[in-house]
Amino acid sequence: MAASLHTRFSASSLISSHDLCHLSPHANGWKSSHMPASYKLGRTIQRSLRGSSVVSPMALAANASQDTDDMYDDLFKKYGKVVYKSSDQKSPTAEVDDDAECLSFAVALAKIASDVKAADIKLLFVKPLVYWTKFFLITTAFSRPQIDAIRNRINDLAEKQYGKFATGDTKANSWTLLDFGDVVVHIFLPEQREIYNLEEFYANATPIELPFENEQRFGR
Amino acid sequence: MIQPQTHLNVADNSGARELMCIRIIGASNRRYAHIGDVIVAVIKDAVPNMPLERSEVVRAVIVRTCKELKRDNGMIIRYDDNAAVVIDQEGNPKGTRVFGAIARELRQINFTKIVSLAPEVS
Repeated sequence: MAASLHTRFSASSLISSHDLCHLSPHANGWKSSHMPASYKLGRTIQRSLRGSSVVSPMALAANASQDTDDMYDDLFKKYGKVVYKSSDQKSPTAEVDDDAECLSFAVALAKIASDVKAADIKLLFVKPLVYWTKFFLITTAFSRPQIDAIRNRINDLAEKQYGKFATGDTKANSWTLLDFGDVVVHIFLPEQREIYNLEEFYANATPIELPFENEQRFGR
Repeated sequence: MIQPQTHLNVADNSGARELMCIRIIGASNRRYAHIGDVIVAVIKDAVPNMPLERSEVVRAVIVRTCKELKRDNGMIIRYDDNAAVVIDQEGNPKGTRVFGAIARELRQINFTKIVSLAPEVS
């Protein structure tokens, strides 16, 4: 072997064609390039890995994918470095604080709904299922004036105490929706609740216990 | 870029299968409609035994287009088909479930109901 190879197989290094010429056993560099370049690269990697403890991917035939995954994991751990990290990821404690804040907001809204005698109030934690919001508050109201009352009181509380403004429906609707960003409030008329059945659609969301009397409708 | 005479798939279980756009709601002389616009459409094909029937005129909101949707952060989203969700006069979806991916722009245009029924929000 003319040249002993000290090329360390780092995650970011590439073996250039210039190196390949030097590594080939023939004196005249480019004449030997009738061999396909990938084959030469493979041989080069095998030679360079001979001294290291890592097995070259070319040697494994049968269970290639699992072992190559392990090999790549090893290499990343040893030599890889983080080049770019998305800047809007929060630390776990900040996330939990955010969630707790939204939870208290949602529970306050649920309390208002129960004050106005809305039925069947359910608070669902949908953050693991859905990325665009954290909590769903689903409730049933029995008439449009009642929906108006719930809507106005919720808007007032949100503005005064939390400074949040709702987008969504501005008039009462058979399905009225108030979108506070992290908390989405759905107010249904009884028939619509049966028809759309959001609780079934989000059956995998964890329901949250509400700390007050919740009027359950009979016969559901 | 949906215009009158465009055929759209229906992305919900309201009973319609294919819609043909007749008119774009909004400005009086709009040429094209994009994701989030409401259109007036006629049902060209319907599932049997459902409340919506063929040749009924309905309103629908466009949820997917083959024309790219550009976002401010530079992301471009392009779907493989043109699809709409049938809605009623109040803006509630007529079907109870929505199929396929829904762009999150619909949330800003006050169609959060459709987004909350969506299996995947892209």
